[in-house]
Amino acid sequence: MSPVPRIPGGERASGWDRPADLEKDPALIPDLASTNVPDELRRQVEDLMSRYPDRHSAAIPALHAAQELHGWCSPEAIEQVAAVMQVTPAYLDSVASFYDMLENHPVGKHSVYVCTNISCSLRGADALLEAVVAAAGDDAEFNVRAFECLGACDIAPMASVDGVYVGPLELSDVPQLLEDTRSGRPVLPAKQLATKLVADPNANSQQFPQHAIEEGSR
Amino acid sequence: MSEMLLFKDIDQPGLNTLSVYEARGGYASLRKALAMTPADVLAELEASGLRGRGGAGFQMGKKVSFLPKGAMDKYLVCNADESEPGTFKDRELMQKNPHVLIEGIVIASYAAGAERSFIYIRGEYVHQADIIDAALAEAREAGFVGERILGSEHTLSLHVHRGAGAYICGEETGLLDSLEGKRGNPRLKPPFPANQGLYQGPTLINNVETLSTVPSIIEMGGGEYAELGVQTSTGTKLVSVSGHVQRPGNYEIELGIPSRELIYDLAGGPLPGHEIKCWFPGGSSSPVLTPADLDVPYDFDSMAKAGSMLGSGAIIVVDDSTPIVDLALKVAKFYRHESCGKCTPCREGTNWTVKMLERIDNGEATPMDLDIMASVQDHIIGNCLCVLGDAMAMPIGSLIAKFREEFEAHIEAARARGELALAGANGGGPHPGVSYESAQALGEELR
Amino acid sequence: MPRPEPKTITFTIDGREVQAPENAMLVDAAKHGDVEIPVFCYEPKLGNPVGACRMCLVEIEGIGKLQTGCSTPVKDGMVVNTQSERVKEAQRSVVEFLLINHPLDCPVCDKGGECPLQDISFGWGGGISRFIEPKRHFVKPLELSPTIAIDRERCILCYRCVRFSQEISEDYQLVLLERGAHSFVSTFDGHPYVAPFSGNIIELCPVGALTSRSYRFRARPWDIEDAGTVCTLCPAQCNVKLTVRDERVMRVLSREHSEVDDGWLCDHGRFAYPALAEGVGQRVPVGADPTIEVLSGAGDGHGAPARALVEPAPAAEQAIAAPVLAAPAANPHGVHVGMRVREPLLRDGGELRPVTWERALSEAGVALKRAGANSAALAGGGTTNEEGLLLARLLREGLGSPHVDSRASSSLALELARELAEPSLQAKVSDLEFAHAVLLLDCEPLRDAPILDLRLRKGVRRHGLKLERVSGDDLDALREAATRLHDEAGEELVIVWGERFVAGADGAARARALLELAQALSLGESDGAGLLEIPATANGRGLREAGVLPDAAPGLRPAGDDGLGTRAIAEALAAGRLSALYLLQTDPLQEGDPFQAAAEETPWAEALERASTVVAQTTLLTAGVHEHANVVFPAESYAEKEGTVTHPDGRVQRVRQAVARAGSTRAGWQVLAELAEQVGFDSGVRNEREASQELFNAVPFYGEMTLEELGGRGARWQERDHASAFATTATSGRQVGADSGGADDGGHTDASQQPTAEPDTFSGAEVEQHAAGGEPDADPAAAAEHAASEDLASGRSGSESSGDGTPGEHGSTGKEGE
Repeated sequence: MSPVPRIPGGERASGWDRPADLEKDPALIPDLASTNVPDELRRQVEDLMSRYPDRHSAAIPALHAAQELHGWCSPEAIEQVAAVMQVTPAYLDSVASFYDMLENHPVGKHSVYVCTNISCSLRGADALLEAVVAAAGDDAEFNVRAFECLGACDIAPMASVDGVYVGPLELSDVPQLLEDTRSGRPVLPAKQLATKLVADPNANSQQFPQHAIEEGSR
Repeated sequence: MSEMLLFKDIDQPGLNTLSVYEARGGYASLRKALAMTPADVLAELEASGLRGRGGAGFQMGKKVSFLPKGAMDKYLVCNADESEPGTFKDRELMQKNPHVLIEGIVIASYAAGAERSFIYIRGEYVHQADIIDAALAEAREAGFVGERILGSEHTLSLHVHRGAGAYICGEETGLLDSLEGKRGNPRLKPPFPANQGLYQGPTLINNVETLSTVPSIIEMGGGEYAELGVQTSTGTKLVSVSGHVQRPGNYEIELGIPSRELIYDLAGGPLPGHEIKCWFPGGSSSPVLTPADLDVPYDFDSMAKAGSMLGSGAIIVVDDSTPIVDLALKVAKFYRHESCGKCTPCREGTNWTVKMLERIDNGEATPMDLDIMASVQDHIIGNCLCVLGDAMAMPIGSLIAKFREEFEAHIEAARARGELALAGANGGGPHPGVSYESAQALGEELR
Repeated sequence: MPRPEPKTITFTIDGREVQAPENAMLVDAAKHGDVEIPVFCYEPKLGNPVGACRMCLVEIEGIGKLQTGCSTPVKDGMVVNTQSERVKEAQRSVVEFLLINHPLDCPVCDKGGECPLQDISFGWGGGISRFIEPKRHFVKPLELSPTIAIDRERCILCYRCVRFSQEISEDYQLVLLERGAHSFVSTFDGHPYVAPFSGNIIELCPVGALTSRSYRFRARPWDIEDAGTVCTLCPAQCNVKLTVRDERVMRVLSREHSEVDDGWLCDHGRFAYPALAEGVGQRVPVGADPTIEVLSGAGDGHGAPARALVEPAPAAEQAIAAPVLAAPAANPHGVHVGMRVREPLLRDGGELRPVTWERALSEAGVALKRAGANSAALAGGGTTNEEGLLLARLLREGLGSPHVDSRASSSLALELARELAEPSLQAKVSDLEFAHAVLLLDCEPLRDAPILDLRLRKGVRRHGLKLERVSGDDLDALREAATRLHDEAGEELVIVWGERFVAGADGAARARALLELAQALSLGESDGAGLLEIPATANGRGLREAGVLPDAAPGLRPAGDDGLGTRAIAEALAAGRLSALYLLQTDPLQEGDPFQAAAEETPWAEALERASTVVAQTTLLTAGVHEHANVVFPAESYAEKEGTVTHPDGRVQRVRQAVARAGSTRAGWQVLAELAEQVGFDSGVRNEREASQELFNAVPFYGEMTLEELGGRGARWQERDHASAFATTATSGRQVGADSGGADDGGHTDASQQPTAEPDTFSGAEVEQHAAGGEPDADPAAAAEHAASEDLASGRSGSESSGDGTPGEHGSTGKEGE
């Protein structure tokens, strides 16, 4: 195939230039019996389907589960889910490619989403992202991504490391962040959102009546 | 000091557990509601005047009343896909007080006659979803959720559904499609979800904060709740304040207090040595306001009157250190990224706007481009399938209108920089122009 | 299930009061006032509107925002404005947005000239673009499937193609990937989009993004003519529009008919034509899909498209795996298997070689005459009613042989066939959509009449139709299923049965069981209920009604002398009791031919081997004909043919000539009439109109039909007044056409009337007289029209077709030429 002439500023999405391979068979609903689906994944997907009046609703959680197992929504992963859900792989591919958290390409196993939306970028998120990208370098363990608003502007600039929100992050936190993640330790424990109190001074959160705590713990 | 409803005891350790929640009086409202008829519960909700806290500000009681009566599969969906930039109040509630949400859902489902319910939570909120799942398990165990709740006739199944990262799923019909396992494309309205929603059944969709308020309304009575706030914006509201303020965070206020009080007294005002340049009163989709608007009361109608909107209740403060073009580009890029691509003006309009802003930033624009950009925003507003297109066009339009001079100065400065660079590269010769061939050659290099 | 019955309301559009059906979408309602609202994504065939393209924005009084006309139902008193500055600005802006990433490569685009995007840009666009950023560029075109090319630069993301795949054919192979401005149409992981109805997306695409690989760059819209006709490759008889350039059919498009095909075509019907017209041996330029190069049967092409989607019965799977002929080797005369027959062939010295028509006709005539009453004939494929009628007459009246049949497998006695064809029992195509339940009995729509598969899916999807399959081998199961469906789903039950249900030795018992079941469930009494037989051959129903049966005269009347049916003919030939066989568009030895498919235990090989004379009239030279025929006459492809066919539900439809006949091919009716002359019988037919007239005269329940009445839409005979003639002719003897044509058909109840044929009544002279209006009983208006039409020959080279009241006039781009 001859290369496509590109002009500066032109853009392409992956897949736009991909023709169908006419040697392949059409991608119909895979036969469950002849598709090699790991038992655990099959059990998970079947359990998910049972939660909804319509099994299709399980598509996103099922793809999540397959991504956990395969690292990304690979064609193989999609075919496995399609076989259990009895839908065409195209249906799932269409869903998977719509959502930011479902990966369409192989990625590192640790995801670091750096929020670069307005509130975070007002507080230095772009520099933070650069620092994380630079520090992670070519490490194939990491999947560093700029992400849209993660809903934690109170700890801007912040990042979600394998689902754990940390912030506000200084550039100097970056090496520790990556090191903690690599070694499987809790990431930056002091900066985790889970430990943070509500900002509202009127919430009186520190003067909670002691007796209620005692009752609660009984 | 305003009344605390949602944030009462919010930081109490263990509030996310059933024992602590019950100890502070949790689930009493549910018992009270189940002793009433569904119609009476609905009457209280209507009397409260509670307006949806998700962004549109539609009266919740009215929304419930739109659901058709009679025996059929009805659904209640809690919209926990909080993704409007600048908004993080639902996250706080779910993480710290999941039971108040569950209690609110059970009461609302009782009023609406819904027997199946889902909490659609954005996929990024892993921690929060885990907390709700744990709380749900406790609530099921204790009989607050499930078959014949507390011995009443009311039955409710409730599941947490985790999304996978798409802003558009916060739009109620996009959320429904996503919950049905499809791409989160918004649907054409009508039919409205109240008639044909999830799985084509009548569906009530409410935001986390709205549903979390329901137990308080039942506890204090709709009439008393309506005393809080101002006439058409009743009650208290969580406001997320972020950006260039000293104490970013969530604050619970009675609606109608001056915005200045919120930004300065509660959030500490701008960072030392800086002035506020503009602020988004209701998330990044709301048209920006300027310091001149700081005394506008923070409620639905006053914000609308000031030319903006309360939206999800998220104030983003931008100070004088930020170039407006950068801000506009950030906003536009976000909406381009999140446009689902279904309808033309949004898909193409967001894309075009970003390209124009990039050109402005690169010094390849003229002030005339501002007119085109403003006109493109006009062509998006009101012509799209859902409000995402408007969500970009309104703030961008307002930025151009209110900061045109700064845009023009930016264009001039960027052009000057560009010409200087070219002059340097060409030894001061004439402007070489950019031919297609040279551009292509550059492209080949970049490949 | 109740059909929608819209009431008419009045609304105002652009200041004028217009009447329209209530709740029609504004886009459609506006057409009642001659107002066009532009659309891209709206296509009612695809189901509910999606409102994605935003092209149809209109202003409605009392509503603040502009509304999409495609999704707003019209109400009484509504005031709509499509001409205000606000609407125009919105329309201009949508066109501008759409063209942002469209390459505007119209000069080299295959859609140019017939492109809705071009038309709408011209009609509603602003004429200028303010977009000066770089456009997207990528590789184009790309293969999407063996038959379809995709150009993603041109795509405007209207969702039509993916909606078709997901909601109409329900194969869900074609989807949108990615999000927002990066969205693109694709399949999963580079798999090709191969599905039985995939070609429809080409027609749905409002831009040049999806193009037919076989049609790309073959013609510009101003080079071509459209010719409406009916596809006779299977019993579904879809209405098609042929694109003709330089006397060649370049592509096949749908000519929407809601009572036949609902506006869809199967891939076989859409792409197989070149193979039929050109034969194999030359590569057909449609890509690598073997299903498209299929040669199945003598011009019948009755192999179903690529793959069954749901529950394909194993037998269906096998039939679907269509045969592909190996590269043929030609004899010294250039004759080879698979070739298109373009001139008469005669076996000489063991080999077929081209001869003149005179020679071929006389050789065939002599041989048939010699065999006389020991002759037999089979008609299959796309044989028209007229050809069938003439074939039956050639045999019965010319050769004195009643051994003529058109049924590939069944051999039901006339009495049962009549009962099964009882008008009140007949379901029609649209019943398949609205019935409460449909039971498929020994019938796989995807194989037997593919387009009905889509109709059934539509019924299931939109109207909650209950669909079940049952095998005819277990009559108890059949009764149980039918009764259960009738009791549970509703009284409107349609049983769709394949001809093979009554094929076996117990066919009669099965037919009786089916009739009893229909009686017990009162299927004849409810409007939406009934039986629908899918014959094995494309025009099975029409040929039977035209009298191509061993025991029936035209109109399913008793013939008096019972001849041998298909299987008995084979056996008699093999045993030497018969000596000559005429094969009209069929080859019982050709894999894929219905006569072959249904003849596992029939000794066709021996029969053809032993027959002293085999005369074949065929489009393509099939193996059996190549091996055994003494004389081969070229037959027209359906695009070259003029005549009528009858749909399985009784709709008589016109097949119209679109291109010149190949080589020296003569019209089918003409060959049969000339052959009749050779054996000393004057059929009285001198042109195709007379052939049709003979048919309408001969079949009482086609009474007083005219080609003009049939027009482009056809007419279901059960819905015409003359349907009553069906009942009254049950016991009548053989009648001849001229009599029943002129007089009131209801009067023909006398069984003693004219027991034998009377050749004189078919004399050319009388027909001439008829045409001139001299026949006292003739309808003067029809006769005048008839006479006028003789002068209205359309003038297309090589064509003898006349040009009045016909489907899709040449050169017209309308869907129909009524």
